[in-house]
Amino acid sequence: MDAEAFRSASTRILAAINTVIDGKAEAAQLALTVLLAQGHLLLEDVPGVGKTLLAKTLARTIDCTVSRIQFTPDLLPSDVTGVSIYNQATRSFEFRHGAVFANIVIGDEINRASAKTQSALLECMEEHQVTVDGTSYRLDEPFMVVATQNPIEMEGTYPLPEAQRDRFMARISMGYPDRESEMEMLETHQASSPLARVTAVVTAAEVAAMILTVQQVYVSRSIKEYTVALGRATRESGLLRLGASPRSMLQLLRAAKATAALDGRDFVLPDDVVSVAEAVLAHRIILDRKAASVGETPQSVIRAIIAKIPVTPEVAASAGRPRRGQAPAMAAEPSKQPNPR
Amino acid sequence: MTLAPHRGTDPSSGTERSSVPAAGAVPRRLGTGPQPWVMAAAVAVAVAGAALGLNGVLRGWAWYSPVFTTVLAVTVSMAMLRSVRAPAWLVAAGGLAALILDLTFTFFRQHSIAGIIPSPETLNYLGKFLRRASETVLAESTPVAPNAGIVMLICAVLGLLVILIDALAFRLALPATSGLAILAILVVPAMVKPQSVGVLGFVGAAAGYLFILACSHWFAPDAGTRADTARNPGQLRRAAVTAAMALAVTLLLQPVIPGFDQGTFPQGSRLNPFGGATGLNPMISLGSSLRSPSGAGRITFSTNAPTTPYLRSVTVDSFDGDSWAPDDRDSTRQQGTDRIDSGLDTVATQSRVTTAVNTGQYTSPYLPAPYAPESISGLTGRWSWDPATLSIKGVDTNSRDQQYVVTSVTPRLTAALLARATEPVRGIPEQFLRQPSNVPEIVRTTADSVTAGAVTPYARAMAIQKYLRSLEFTYSLQSPVQGGYDGNGLSVLADFLTVKSGYCIHFASAMAVMARLEGIPSRIAVGYAPGRSTGTTVAVSGQGPLPEFEVDARDAHAWPELYFQGIGWVPFEPTPSRGVVPAYAMAASTPSGASTNERNDALTPGGRSSAAAAPTAAPVPLPGAAAPASGNAIPAQAFYGVGAALLLALLVASPRLVRGGVRRRRLRTADRRGSGAAPASALPAWAELRDLATDYGVGPLASETPRHFFQRLRASAALGEPGDGPGQRAAAALTEDFEREKYGRPSGAGGTGGSGGRGGNPESANPAGSAAARIALVQDSLRAHAKPLVRLRAEWLPPSVMSGWRRALPRRVPAGTAQRTRRWIAGVWGQIRNTARRVRRG
Repeated sequence: MDAEAFRSASTRILAAINTVIDGKAEAAQLALTVLLAQGHLLLEDVPGVGKTLLAKTLARTIDCTVSRIQFTPDLLPSDVTGVSIYNQATRSFEFRHGAVFANIVIGDEINRASAKTQSALLECMEEHQVTVDGTSYRLDEPFMVVATQNPIEMEGTYPLPEAQRDRFMARISMGYPDRESEMEMLETHQASSPLARVTAVVTAAEVAAMILTVQQVYVSRSIKEYTVALGRATRESGLLRLGASPRSMLQLLRAAKATAALDGRDFVLPDDVVSVAEAVLAHRIILDRKAASVGETPQSVIRAIIAKIPVTPEVAASAGRPRRGQAPAMAAEPSKQPNPR
Repeated sequence: MTLAPHRGTDPSSGTERSSVPAAGAVPRRLGTGPQPWVMAAAVAVAVAGAALGLNGVLRGWAWYSPVFTTVLAVTVSMAMLRSVRAPAWLVAAGGLAALILDLTFTFFRQHSIAGIIPSPETLNYLGKFLRRASETVLAESTPVAPNAGIVMLICAVLGLLVILIDALAFRLALPATSGLAILAILVVPAMVKPQSVGVLGFVGAAAGYLFILACSHWFAPDAGTRADTARNPGQLRRAAVTAAMALAVTLLLQPVIPGFDQGTFPQGSRLNPFGGATGLNPMISLGSSLRSPSGAGRITFSTNAPTTPYLRSVTVDSFDGDSWAPDDRDSTRQQGTDRIDSGLDTVATQSRVTTAVNTGQYTSPYLPAPYAPESISGLTGRWSWDPATLSIKGVDTNSRDQQYVVTSVTPRLTAALLARATEPVRGIPEQFLRQPSNVPEIVRTTADSVTAGAVTPYARAMAIQKYLRSLEFTYSLQSPVQGGYDGNGLSVLADFLTVKSGYCIHFASAMAVMARLEGIPSRIAVGYAPGRSTGTTVAVSGQGPLPEFEVDARDAHAWPELYFQGIGWVPFEPTPSRGVVPAYAMAASTPSGASTNERNDALTPGGRSSAAAAPTAAPVPLPGAAAPASGNAIPAQAFYGVGAALLLALLVASPRLVRGGVRRRRLRTADRRGSGAAPASALPAWAELRDLATDYGVGPLASETPRHFFQRLRASAALGEPGDGPGQRAAAALTEDFEREKYGRPSGAGGTGGSGGRGGNPESANPAGSAAARIALVQDSLRAHAKPLVRLRAEWLPPSVMSGWRRALPRRVPAGTAQRTRRWIAGVWGQIRNTARRVRRG
């Protein structure tokens, strides 16, 4: 797919989403980024701010199969993955596909289901396949889980296990719309759901081609070094009990590549990494108790780390004037006291 | 690894097992690595190097081999002990023992047990050696002959210093302080030698000192600077920069700053460590006395002589080939000063003169008296006189606070009388005639050419005096010091006759040597030129009130005395502008009529004062102009002034020059690379953009992405109104190029699907061509929108350069030191303030 087609496709998708959800362009962009980076998206916020609407709109703009699972405490894993049932006619077991067999799976209020059902999603999300009774079934490509959840403090929720949180590429908090957007919403959305007006603007094949384009975005060595420095800084930070995993580093880079492609570039800039770092890393790290008690949040810690890690330590050196104290990047990050684990 | 096989075996295996770690431990216990040896080498280099400076204090180089051996013996023995991890006290004791054994072996081999172990007899000889050394120190002028006593003393002192430095530098971990001990070695030549320490000694000591510092830093890095050990190349560069700057300042500042001819250490004069500062040490200290800006050692005397007499203190008559020295002839001295046989032949009529002298603070073993003393009364203590030279020397006393009356006889000499004295010399000691063995050719040829045609001894003497008083020669206290021929050896004489500038000692010894070459016995009298009247009179018993005169160190003088058969010793005055030429020594053609008895302080050092010019030379310009003649003084001054101005200008402009150089290099690189297919042309341009922004106060943060930095730059007012001016466009293009080169696909690899990314902003991709043009645009824009002060700083003290220099400076001052210094300054300031308050209150 050439750049022009890429740009036009992405513009169409974002425009369509923006007609439905007012004032959430960033969230829409991030959702598209995650789709193109082949990740899964976790939308977390209080009820009624448009989490499900965003998920549905994203799914609707693409001409592909969509399924929606309303997670409840009595939902069974087989409802997600599918089940083998005995066919009297053919006198054999046949597999009945579960809800996960779709291009975009919307898992609504995922933290209301039991841990058992939640973990049924694990294999699907990571390996893009379902295994039932020893048989594996490939899921369709593109495959994306968009899960919404209420903040864990709310009643009747089962917090997502760390391992499962780690499988989501990014977490977005929708946040309340601003005054104008809210007014606009009341004006336009009163009569009918705007979702009804949304039609598919790209085909699944186009999305697959876009994903291919994203995969070909070039990542230079210094970007990788910068990413690694960020990751190591989260692990060495005294404010964190759990730092970012190596998998999160991979996902960070993939998200950065998608961001670069959406910006019309075929190479990643540090800015791309920075712009997605908070969304990609914040839900994976765990604050130290002391840090939490002084009002730190995962987001603030990530921002502090970004503000500390030198981006291009070797710029001056490559221009002929060595600059002491900055090379190499990892040494520049002062190691704090080891995490008490 | 498992210990299972050993378990339950027989006892022999147990011992075997215990012996294995022991065997393994031995090399570890002994193996301290090269540390003790390298450190010992450092100390040896420092001490042996500093000892090089003693050349010139001691004559020749023969003394150096025992010194070197001693230093080596002590350092090696200490290193050996340390390498086997001996305790600290044992190391020091071992060094001391090695020193004693070495000294015994070198100096007392015959008088010891087995050649190295001291015995009572050794101590006996040690006393003798020490006495000899002290005699050498007290009596001889540099360079002294390296006799066994003085060499042994030096070896012992240096050996002890080795132990001290070793303890300071390595045991007590105070390597910087060990420099004091090294300095102690250098102080001796600095004070004694007219040429001071000399290059060799300085370089040796400095190299050794740096070696010690480096060793201590290498092997035992300070905990406070551990992150910054010598292994860090930046440290080496910082050290080199610091050392180079220190050296440059030392070498360049000293000639530029005036005033080095005053104060405690005026140029060319050294502290006189031996004897009182007012004493008139023969020969070498004369120059120092004359150069001393204050008149120390004041002597007053009143006399009934018709002309103010010279006060004669000591005679220097022994010329051993290398230098002049006094010969005390203690064996032939006669006790008592009531009757002195002046030994003058009675050819000439004589007149008797009475002089009452008060020596005040003047301290010397010799007594100043007008020539030729017949009797001296009023002295305290025991005194003796030498029949050959009539010098009066204290037996157990000195000249301090003596008041005495001298009766002296003066022959009425005339030129005619002297001209008749043509008989061959006889009846005087041979040493007055002894010719030095290796007279430089220039001395002999000068003597011969000057005296050509003169028949009588008197005529020859007059010819020599006339030559030395001619306009060719100038009187200068400074030029011998600068020319490196301050002293009294034969080589000095050759230099003097070449340069034709010096002071009395050079004129006197030149005339004395030339006279001996011409067969006239000669010696040099050292004393005082006629001083000045104090304007008062003193009543002397039997004489009535007599006019009083005074002399001090600035009147110190030396003059030759030549012997004429049948007449005796006759003083001459070859030094232009000093003293009084006696009537008999004045020839009609001698331009000596100008000689005056003027004050010496009118003769400012460096002022040209030939015989003819002397009387008008009083208002000499530019005191301290360190040039042999005033003709060169102004250009030299101007040269130094211009040099200093250039240096200052260079210093002021250096950040700007450095910044400009860095910029040119980057842009050259950028354009050269940009023209070819080679990548990375944008990197230097980007670095330049960053530094430019830094200079104008909008520099990038380390954690800032290039794009963010650019956006901040554009949003700030530094490039003018936020918008799309030429500066902003150029900066945008530079940023984009940099991003593409730094993070983009390497050119040649080819982009498959992302060609659209390349054309993202085609209009800004190449707005103004080369990187240099873009940088110029950005710079113009920054300059146009900066406040004047910011602009000034960016151009003359660019922060991008200054911060780099700050980093190059030694970063850490130990916190304790800084705090202590602050507290001390605060305390001193408080005291000053309190005192001022008290004074105000009365």
